Amino acid sequence: MMDFRILLDNLPYLLWGNYPDGALGGAALTVLLSAGSAILSAVLGLALGILLAEGRGSWHKLLLLALGFLRAIPVLMLIFWTYFLLPIAFGIDVPGVLSVMAALSLIGGAYLAHSVAAGIAGIGEGQWQAGMSLGLSRLAVLRHVILPQALQIMLPSFVNQWVTLIKDSSLAYIVGVGELSFVAAQVNSRLMVYPAEVFLFVGILYFLLCSGLEQCAMWLGRFFQPARIAARRMSVNRQRSPSFSYHHEADPHRPHG
Amino acid sequence: MMPAACFCPCLIAAMFAHLFTGPLLAPKYLHWMWQGFLLTLWLTALTVVFSTLLGMLLAAARSSEIGLLRRPAAAITALFRNTPLLVQLLFWYFGVPSLFPDGMMDWLNADHVLSLAGPFAMHWPSFEFLAALCGLVCYSTTYISEEVRSGMRGVAPAQALAGSALGMTRWQVLRYITLPQAVRLSLPSLLGQYMNALKNTSLTMGIGLAELSYTARQVESETFLAFQAFGVATLLYIAAIAVIESAGYVHLRTCRARQGKA
Repeated sequence: MMDFRILLDNLPYLLWGNYPDGALGGAALTVLLSAGSAILSAVLGLALGILLAEGRGSWHKLLLLALGFLRAIPVLMLIFWTYFLLPIAFGIDVPGVLSVMAALSLIGGAYLAHSVAAGIAGIGEGQWQAGMSLGLSRLAVLRHVILPQALQIMLPSFVNQWVTLIKDSSLAYIVGVGELSFVAAQVNSRLMVYPAEVFLFVGILYFLLCSGLEQCAMWLGRFFQPARIAARRMSVNRQRSPSFSYHHEADPHRPHG
Repeated sequence: MMPAACFCPCLIAAMFAHLFTGPLLAPKYLHWMWQGFLLTLWLTALTVVFSTLLGMLLAAARSSEIGLLRRPAAAITALFRNTPLLVQLLFWYFGVPSLFPDGMMDWLNADHVLSLAGPFAMHWPSFEFLAALCGLVCYSTTYISEEVRSGMRGVAPAQALAGSALGMTRWQVLRYITLPQAVRLSLPSLLGQYMNALKNTSLTMGIGLAELSYTARQVESETFLAFQAFGVATLLYIAAIAVIESAGYVHLRTCRARQGKA
């Protein structure tokens, strides 16, 4: 019933738009857009999260209000705001990709700020006191003691937010940025008779992107678990230092003397 | 870092300042947006009801011991959660009709009137509305089922054992013991999902449903008053979210009060 052969002709266009001859588009632009907003949202989330966890007084309330605003409105509304207002505010022509990236980073940063603040709050007060009693400044304790542990806890929420970012990058379709969903709608209206195939295929592409990111992150998370890092260091030490090589009598490669 | 932190409050302040000092929107346009807002609320309400019911079923299927139920349920969850809602909506709107047998689309597009008692009659909704509802329900169901599932983990296993000791079937245990408590436990995160459902309705403008975001865009392109059009829509969204949020707050307080008395 379904005919996927027709997609083969349009595959390059779906994957990278008109790239060598024209603008980059399709899945490649989706990846770029999501990667850009992932990095920006992580930086923003980390910075705002630290401010949220450490700040006091009226600035803190203002920050809470701004974050609450960003979390209460639909992503699409914020895209409209940045898309129509950034050019007015700065008096220059801001490319659509950048305004969508700004909106996605702001929303992602607002969500991440709360998880970062929760992660910092989850590290016991004793860790702060231990660091300070060693004579470290508050910032140094944060940098060397608190954040390395908090980031470990926060990794899943970062990954969730990044998967959400990949999915939300599809909203760029509505303001006419040529990423994967937009290109899919174009291909669909050009072919006319294969809508189910086109959108299923595009759905599968997004699925691969999102679950690929999730798997990578899970693997990375396991790789950087404190217990595993310690285990790796132990095994490296064992190979290097002679005092640990208690089995070298049985080593066949060792020259007999 | 600081420019970013300052940017949001400045944007918000500029927006509200402009909203009250700039030229006003004509009543006609406000009326459009109000109609859009009502459609948004109606769509959200239907999505919430259907996706909560289906979400409980999906959660039950995922925690079932029958692999034939559990594995497809897990696959469906992964599939709907890892693809964008917009692409799902486009699929329901453009893709699914092409798979229908001939004549079905004509039937769906035709106006059917369901006459209820007296002067009340329900008109058949547009196909945009049906596709939007279908997409939103499928998407929200998978998220709600995850919340219900984590609520189910909070119900002590001894409760289910006690139920089966009383001679209840597995389904009865779920229906009368596990699920009601799981839903109550996960209510705060369910409310979060309901807020997401409300925000997600904005994507249905992608398939041409005239809800709040669509009407805001329409008003903007007719009047060129971008600040006012998006400002009004943003305020309406915030108001609706605030209502859900305060419902959760009231619920939390009544719960605490009840626990205090007991």
